[in-house]
Amino acid sequence: MALGRRSAWAGASLLVIVTLVALLAPVISPHDPLTPAGAPLQAPGSAGFALGTDSIGRDVLSRVLAGIRLSWFAALAVIASGLVIGGVVGVVAGAAGGWVDTVLMRVTDLFLALPAPVLAIAVVAGLGPGLVNTLIAVSIVWWPFYARIIRGEIRTLRARPHVETARLSGVSSVRVAWRHLLPGAVPAVVVTASLDVGNLVITLAGLSFLGLGQPAPAAELGADTARNLSYLLQQWWIPVMPGIGVLVLSVVGNIAGDSVRTLLERR
Amino acid sequence: MNATLIFLAKRVGAAVIIVLLLAVAIFALQQAAPLDPAKAMLGPGASQQAVTAQRQVMGLDDPPAEQLGRYISGLVTGDLGTSYRTRRPVAQDLAAFVPATVELASTALVFAVLLATFFAVSTSLRWPGAGVIRLLLLAGSSAPAFLLGIAAILLFYKELGWLPASGRTEFSDAPSGPTGLLTVDGILAGRLDVTLDAWRHLVLPALAISFGPAVAVGRVLRSSLSGEQVSDYARTARAKGIVEPVVLRRHILRNAVGPALSMTGLQVGLMFAGVLVVEQIFGWPGVGQYTAQSIPVADFPAIAGVTLLLGVGYVAINTVVDVLQAVADPRIQA
Repeated sequence: MALGRRSAWAGASLLVIVTLVALLAPVISPHDPLTPAGAPLQAPGSAGFALGTDSIGRDVLSRVLAGIRLSWFAALAVIASGLVIGGVVGVVAGAAGGWVDTVLMRVTDLFLALPAPVLAIAVVAGLGPGLVNTLIAVSIVWWPFYARIIRGEIRTLRARPHVETARLSGVSSVRVAWRHLLPGAVPAVVVTASLDVGNLVITLAGLSFLGLGQPAPAAELGADTARNLSYLLQQWWIPVMPGIGVLVLSVVGNIAGDSVRTLLERR
Repeated sequence: MNATLIFLAKRVGAAVIIVLLLAVAIFALQQAAPLDPAKAMLGPGASQQAVTAQRQVMGLDDPPAEQLGRYISGLVTGDLGTSYRTRRPVAQDLAAFVPATVELASTALVFAVLLATFFAVSTSLRWPGAGVIRLLLLAGSSAPAFLLGIAAILLFYKELGWLPASGRTEFSDAPSGPTGLLTVDGILAGRLDVTLDAWRHLVLPALAISFGPAVAVGRVLRSSLSGEQVSDYARTARAKGIVEPVVLRRHILRNAVGPALSMTGLQVGLMFAGVLVVEQIFGWPGVGQYTAQSIPVADFPAIAGVTLLLGVGYVAINTVVDVLQAVADPRIQA
């Protein structure tokens, strides 16, 4: 989809807006997400409860906001760890070449040859359930994707004249990697990472839905839907609203990712 | 033909190695896990003595290499260990849940391919609905499978009453064998009513699982279709007087289908995750239910079994995709 530059800036700024909403969720939430605030099972639009209340009278909007906060930062945390681990592996493999490259990329290929969410479930089973363990598990299976992309970028950059010049003039290989190779890989990585936010939000919500998150009272988008499925036919808003929260985050992620790509690729 | 056979052998060999390494990784995970399997097997109230004895029985104090060897040779003979929760062999547990999941996942895969083709063709044609469909696709591909599932229940079950929303069948006397796939068993038992009913139950969950992957595949198919349509060989074919439908079918599709096929293989991983989630929503008695029951009690052998099963399924499907590609386009074998 061809976006104009102006709308691309608008799209990319959505990332900032959502991050602000996530940061300020405790402040802008009308009620405490964990304690009952009114009569149970009120429909959306009731006085003071824009998205209604759940089975024990907690404000659904406040719970969705708390869930958005958690999902968004969880996704960003996994991407950050993917960038760091994948970055180190990708730069080392790409810059060193030879058997180091072969070994690291074989390990990477092994991860990529298997479905990441399924692997993550197995890792959580080993570590024990809980939000932190789930994030560790997803990070463990998520970095190879970044390692592949960064390594590819580094390999192309390595053949460029400026890198060759640096190497011939005796610059150490660590400095070449850090000063001359890594910066060149940044645009491609930023585009990949911003397109990845939506995927991660959906994956994490799916794992949360399966019970790989925080225990009961905590507000989590996937788990809130899973725990309230029995209300679907009578009080649909209780399971549906958290799902719409995931949808919003993922749409924002996709639009912002497309926008970032437009902005960076037109240079 | 010989080249094809060598390619086939290479791909199958690679698939076997990947599955073996997955088994080693799961074993390593079990070793690194804080939970003592003997304690988990006996329950929290077990005495230290009983745990020590159980460790002996399970061979947990043997050297890790010996345990790994035992684990792998067990896997080869179909021994996936014993579940902490059900105390039955995991393989036996899974056997009860697998047919329902296979039926659902394969239906979803067929739906995904059909939907992808529909999306690709309908958005590349010039008609007023193309814009609407594109917008729907953008939103739909961003929706988690569980939201699509509950939205489908609200629309097609609650509002319209067209389709059932839970379980595999309405019949309590549905045939239970020989394949475990109700759609097939219904036909084999001469019970067409069962088959039809099984189909009706499959539609909504399969749609919820297949929508996201279908959009991803449809996008790839559409861009490669439009790329090939303006290619030199297509123009040559048209110049020779071949009519457009034949150009599309005989010349363009064969070249355009490759990238879409690869994408389908990759999306299978996403579909497996979707299956696990959607089974919860539709009360589908499959592997997803088993997984969801095993997660809260940290039943490692059960989850390891599910992981191996899905891992093997994923690797097998992608191997088949690679081989199909190579058959369609012999250049890939080089």
